[in-house]
Amino acid sequence: MARLRLVRGNTACAYGALSAGCRFYAGYPITPSSEVAEEMARLLPRVGGVFVQMEDEIASLAACIGASLGGLRSMTATSGPGFTLMQEHLGYAALAEIPCVVVDVMRLGPSTGFPTAPAQGDVLQARWGSHGDYPMVVLAPAGVQEVFELTAAAFEVADRLRTPVVVLYDEVVGHMMEPATLPDLSELVASGTWRRPSPPVQGTYLPYAYSEGTPPPLVSFGEGTRYHITGLIHDESGFPTQDPGKVGEMLRRLNEKVPEVPADQLHPEGVATEDAEVVVVAYGITARAARAAVRQARELGVRAGLFRPRVLWPSPATALRELSGRVGMFVVAEMNFGQWAREVERLVGRWAEVVTVNQVDGTPLSPRTILERVLEVSSPVPSTAAGRRIS
Amino acid sequence: MQTRNVLVVGVGGQGVLLASNVLAAACLARGYDVKKSEVKGMAQRGGAVVSFVRYGERVHSPLVERGRADLVLSLEWAEALRWAAYLRPGGVLAVDLVRILPPAAQLDHRTWQASYPAVEVERLRQAGWDVRPYEASRCAAELGDGRMANVVLLGAVSRELEFTVEEWEQALREVVPEQVVEANLRAFHAGRELPLASVSPGDVRRPAARTFRVEVTASWCKGRSCGICVRVCPEEVLAFGPDDRATAASPDRCTGCQLCQLLCPDFAVVVREEVAVG
Amino acid sequence: MIPDVRGYLRENRMPHILCPGCGHGIVLGALLRAVHALGIPQDRLAVVAGIGCSSRLAGYVDACTLHTTHGRALAFAAGLKLARPELVVIVLTGDGDGLSIGGNHLIHAARRNVDLTCILFNNAVYGMTGGQVAPTTQPGWVASTAPYGHPEPAFDGCALVQGAGGTFVARSMAYDPRGLQAILTEALEHRGFSYVEVLTDCPVYFGRYNRLGEGPELLWSQKARFGEVGQMLRDKRFVTPDGTAPAGRVEGLRFGILHRAERPEFTHVCWSQVRRGGDP
Ligand code: SF4
Ligand code: SF4
Ligand code: SF4
Repeated sequence: MARLRLVRGNTACAYGALSAGCRFYAGYPITPSSEVAEEMARLLPRVGGVFVQMEDEIASLAACIGASLGGLRSMTATSGPGFTLMQEHLGYAALAEIPCVVVDVMRLGPSTGFPTAPAQGDVLQARWGSHGDYPMVVLAPAGVQEVFELTAAAFEVADRLRTPVVVLYDEVVGHMMEPATLPDLSELVASGTWRRPSPPVQGTYLPYAYSEGTPPPLVSFGEGTRYHITGLIHDESGFPTQDPGKVGEMLRRLNEKVPEVPADQLHPEGVATEDAEVVVVAYGITARAARAAVRQARELGVRAGLFRPRVLWPSPATALRELSGRVGMFVVAEMNFGQWAREVERLVGRWAEVVTVNQVDGTPLSPRTILERVLEVSSPVPSTAAGRRIS
Repeated sequence: MQTRNVLVVGVGGQGVLLASNVLAAACLARGYDVKKSEVKGMAQRGGAVVSFVRYGERVHSPLVERGRADLVLSLEWAEALRWAAYLRPGGVLAVDLVRILPPAAQLDHRTWQASYPAVEVERLRQAGWDVRPYEASRCAAELGDGRMANVVLLGAVSRELEFTVEEWEQALREVVPEQVVEANLRAFHAGRELPLASVSPGDVRRPAARTFRVEVTASWCKGRSCGICVRVCPEEVLAFGPDDRATAASPDRCTGCQLCQLLCPDFAVVVREEVAVG
Repeated sequence: MIPDVRGYLRENRMPHILCPGCGHGIVLGALLRAVHALGIPQDRLAVVAGIGCSSRLAGYVDACTLHTTHGRALAFAAGLKLARPELVVIVLTGDGDGLSIGGNHLIHAARRNVDLTCILFNNAVYGMTGGQVAPTTQPGWVASTAPYGHPEPAFDGCALVQGAGGTFVARSMAYDPRGLQAILTEALEHRGFSYVEVLTDCPVYFGRYNRLGEGPELLWSQKARFGEVGQMLRDKRFVTPDGTAPAGRVEGLRFGILHRAERPEFTHVCWSQVRRGGDP
């Protein structure tokens, strides 16, 4: 029976994975994500799964992809430097269309940075960190319960779209404890070693023969179907091709396969946006401060609202554009120097004003800072303080 | 009793070790002490293999000295000649008249018939040995599996040895894989009925010529800029055709060594033995 | 007669893309004969490869084949083997792939003793990128990035893997296809991490830069020096067609099965923990 417990975000992440049937974890220790690995090391053998600590992050994601091909839902978790090392294999999984889940618990700054401090600096890397054009799904939970739910959802999306899914949250979400409803271990134990079912294959399996915009279900290695997978550009059969027609077609389909809302529970959240004149856009831990700021602004008579994406990539273009028909001012609050704000600007900048509030100093954005910015931009006299206009 | 010395010899792939294992198992079934040792040739197939079996009340060394063997059981003619010198005067040489040509034994690849020793039973008999030629391979082939020639020959000599039929059968059941026990028992009993091959004095037999077919898949061959098979063939069988693909220009010189097949990096060459019809 | 093993190939994808006279295909032939001799069903066979000329061979084997990223094949293979212990997983890697960019994965796969058969094609050069030095290039040998002779010493991959804890370590060469097959057969049968380094030749770059001739010359010189090809060779030296050894011949490389040990196999240990429900 599921029950309410006081747990950390990183623990909820492990439970979310296990409840979705994840039975393989390969990872490398790194702050502030290590608790995910520790929970998985403790829990996986009890629920019929395998944990392995690899030699580095590159090997970790490689092992996940290999295990996924073997039919086990697979996951790894890391933070900035490790996430950077994983980029090649994120691109590989995207091109080879092998499902896997990567959790990035963001720390501050480039390089080793400030490992124990929260930030939201990997938002663009999560989308574009690997080379070439490829699709990417990035989920951004804002609390412990949502870490559980979105991690579980990540596996469903990964399998259905045959693509890597990144679960992106920051150090505060990873480490804070709050009540969350998680399944009992006994339920997970009962489900045992779950394997992704391989559909029966008639004739030759064409692992990349799309129908209606999605690839066919993945057949696991060892199920009696022999086929080839490569990180080279390939045709429907999975073998390399250099035919410009096929290359172009394959990449176009690949890059178009992820819908804006990849699953029902992944719609963006809107708070008080119906009559809003100014909308704060925020995700992850920042969304909590933004929620409070919006409430306080309303108390002060400013018609403020909150737009909180659960999916950062692909960006919720339809929902944002719809909003921009009614709202003239967007305030994008982030713990970076405006990474996702670029996307908001791209999507709504033609119809609305987009300003930012940024804080990158190792402390979470406070409601007060966001509120000030909201009041500032909604007052008749523009100020030149903290934020800046995106150009 | 006096310790008995037996050699089982043949070429790789003939089942020398199996035959000697059966003999050793029969010894144990009878309650004898037994020692066994073997020397295997380098090559997987075609190399010489010899197994020494010594048995009696009490046996110390596993090795048999030249001129001391009571019995040489040879699964192949040329090997019989090679090991006959291990026999004591009057010792028994039981030999299958099959003739296998290991590539290494062919000194002159093109005229290899001359390099293979002729079957001259009489000459061996003049040397003072009790020579018993059998057509064991032919018998095994008639039973449906030529690989059981070793057990057929064992059956043939079993009549000369002190073990009972039950002991032999027990030994076979222990040694051969379960799924072929019945077939091997049939081969053994066929061997017990097998008459001596009729080799008249002066009957000099030569092995039938083997012929090979060299097939090159032209579309896989990378031609002169590779050239490995053409250059490596010891008999100069292969050459390049006008399409710059390797081809068997002089197929009748092929000795079936398969170096070309082993060394073609493109899987373009396959050598097959032509099975003579009629 | 040695069998025709082309049934293990995806014949519709042949001929393969490797250069004329490249030694790699010979190694694949020996591997397929070993697989055939052991009667491994194709449905139980997985071939995982990295990036480089030799790694491209994976795509020609009619099995479950996975062509991965540069240097990382062993990590992918470890994940696959852990998920599917019943598969026979063969890893094809080159000297650059396995010993340079992927060296870390090699030593850790050996240390863990994952039941993989890793075949490392050592041609002492980066072929696919145009003839640059590899970690196996001997000092003095010429490559496109060592035009005046390589200033660095080379790795001994076998010693490295043995030191890291590999439980089956062997070295053979493309020009000894029968001996190679025998070693590969034992490597495939070994339960644990097996490493077989195979010396092969890249006539297009290595042979040309070092003036050693083309495929047949490299082969011919071996044959001239060692007599019958097919006997286990104790050493490999690069010999010019007239039989004189050029500067930079390899000293001290050992051949054959160099090390064998019994240690618990990783996949087995992991799944034993699972069967015990996590109890130690
Ligand atoms: S070795 Fe093979 S590829 Fe080379 S020339 Fe001969 S048949 Fe052609
Ligand atoms: S098998 Fe091949 S190498 Fe040997 S003789 Fe025949 S053609 Fe020549
Ligand atoms: S570049 Fe060298 S190693 Fe690569 S395929 Fe060509 S000959 Fe072989």
